[in-house]
Amino acid sequence: MLQLIKLENNNHIFLVNHINEYLNPLYIYIPIFDKTTFKMKDYVYKNTLFGDEVASVSGNILGSKKIIVNKKHIPALKIKNDFKENNISKKRVKKINSKEELIELLNNFNLKDIANIILSKQNIKNFIVSSIDEEIYAINEFIILSNYYNEILDTIEYLLKLFSLDKSLILTKNTNSKSIKNVKSIIGTYPKINISLVPDKYLISRDEFICKYLNISLDETLILKTSEIYKIYKVLLKAKMNTETIITISGDAIEKSLVINTKIGVSLKELLDEFIKFICDDYEVYVNGYLSGIKIENIDEVIITKNTSSIVINKSKKEEESSCINCGACKKICPVNINVKYCYFNKLSHKNCIKCGLCNYVCPARLKLKEIVMSDAK
Amino acid sequence: MKVKNTKSLIIQNILIFIPFLLYGIYKNGFLIYEKGLINLVSVFKPFFLIIIGIIIKIGIDILMYKKIKIDYNFVYVFLVGMIMPYNINYLIYIITFLISYFLALLAEKKLKLEFNKVCFIYLIIILINSLFNSFNYQNILESNYNYSFTFLDLLMGRNIGGVSSTSIFFSLISYVYLTYSIYYKKDIPFIINLTYLLIIFIYFFITHDNTILLNSELIFASIFVATLPEYSPYKVINQIIYSILIGLIASFISIFFNSIISIYIAIFLVSLLMNIKNIKLKFKKEVVNK
Repeated sequence: MLQLIKLENNNHIFLVNHINEYLNPLYIYIPIFDKTTFKMKDYVYKNTLFGDEVASVSGNILGSKKIIVNKKHIPALKIKNDFKENNISKKRVKKINSKEELIELLNNFNLKDIANIILSKQNIKNFIVSSIDEEIYAINEFIILSNYYNEILDTIEYLLKLFSLDKSLILTKNTNSKSIKNVKSIIGTYPKINISLVPDKYLISRDEFICKYLNISLDETLILKTSEIYKIYKVLLKAKMNTETIITISGDAIEKSLVINTKIGVSLKELLDEFIKFICDDYEVYVNGYLSGIKIENIDEVIITKNTSSIVINKSKKEEESSCINCGACKKICPVNINVKYCYFNKLSHKNCIKCGLCNYVCPARLKLKEIVMSDAK
Repeated sequence: MKVKNTKSLIIQNILIFIPFLLYGIYKNGFLIYEKGLINLVSVFKPFFLIIIGIIIKIGIDILMYKKIKIDYNFVYVFLVGMIMPYNINYLIYIITFLISYFLALLAEKKLKLEFNKVCFIYLIIILINSLFNSFNYQNILESNYNYSFTFLDLLMGRNIGGVSSTSIFFSLISYVYLTYSIYYKKDIPFIINLTYLLIIFIYFFITHDNTILLNSELIFASIFVATLPEYSPYKVINQIIYSILIGLIASFISIFFNSIISIYIAIFLVSLLMNIKNIKLKFKKEVVNK
């Protein structure tokens, strides 16, 4: 059973219609997951890979610092930007003729996530491009579509040829009127691409929910987000490594919501100091979503990684946990019908949990349900 | 979908009760005062019953926890005050309320026994009251005059029952409103009433007795008392069993004993029965995550 839920929207986020840029940070931090050796003052070229992590600027190593990634403290290299953008030798992109060649190219340009999505689909019959953000506080996919629609449509057409498909569908929320207007003005010149509106409901951005909504098979459907299409565009046409990411900073504790195109590895504190005006001193910061993301205790320890999509800064509610009133809302709202209350009180995680955070969101007693239920979920 | 915390749920519940209370003051106060049968202060008896309950709750809170707790007990004392018969004696009400409320808290804390507190307090008060007074739900007007009410009158609340719980109209409106809330167990009242009507219709076709067909107390209690979150199951299948059992017991008590009190006995018994399941669960270790 998969059910979609209409949530209360964050209204002031819809005032955002352009992308700010922060491409010249003073320092960047590269998380070190493996035993990479380095020396102090070593020079790092832009696009150098440290495991799966990329150096988004060039400069000297100043030292290391503990940062938080996925609730774990790990060491990170601190690199001082020399603002020269010295690249390691540029990779050339040869003409791509098949799906396999595209996957290889994406792997070479450190876009392994996208390559794995394409690789997992053996028999692609439907090609969907989603401009729907999962989080109610994020607007990245919509902004990318409305600002780079030419690039997105060109890339979709190119991929259609590559996958030998007849048509593709762009999905956007019915509330995103601006993106519809822009794309509609040009979509007539792309006869193979259609646009479809979906209801503004939570979780509709997830692949299984999209397929259920469109009544198509998940195994035969390739679903890519507009941000992923834009990354493919940059690789195919500009041979550019992915050193930037687009994030939404939103919430009711800041003056204005923003969408920022920033270098990967920038310190969150540096980014907030540069762009954000707080309207109160007592606030809570969530990375990658208010519902499904992680609450951050110390923003000094947070950096923008390639997987960061949103920062939510909300006024601190100071709501303490109270005793469970047995209302059953957690079970009622769970999209996969998990008995959340049972799992919580027996300290059990559930393998079917999809980490949506809805149980936490609705709980009137403010119990930290998701921390238990999703702890070992896939 | 609107997200609420426990405090806002309590406030929502209490706000819903205000029209019932105003109607109770009109029916069991103003109408009698108009005939010159009671004084002006007695008009507000439905209100005083609730105030007494709140004072007792706050007093016990301060005594036990040294602070006033904003919990569902506020809803319970409201409900107890609303479902009391008009003829309840103030002194008996205060003493029995105090003792039964304290006993309920003690049973919950020490014996870990969970049962519907509203029904427990209500039944104890009724039992003690019936020992001292004649057991009667009619107010002064209803016992002194003969009325010929239409179906619409009964729907609006002119039938005999609790001091502020007789308005079927308000009950139904509240139910429709509450069904939009994710925190409300909307299936319970529906199934209770369906089961009750089914049995009572069979009874009606056999005996042609239609006096217990329209039971305003059953509608009110099934919407507000049976669905109290702490004492009702949250799993759909358990809710169905719980509701059918209440409907069955209530209908049989209505037929053989008393239709007004039947629903409260039924809810109390079934909520008490749920403890067997809880005890069983403690010994049964289910593994969800293999």
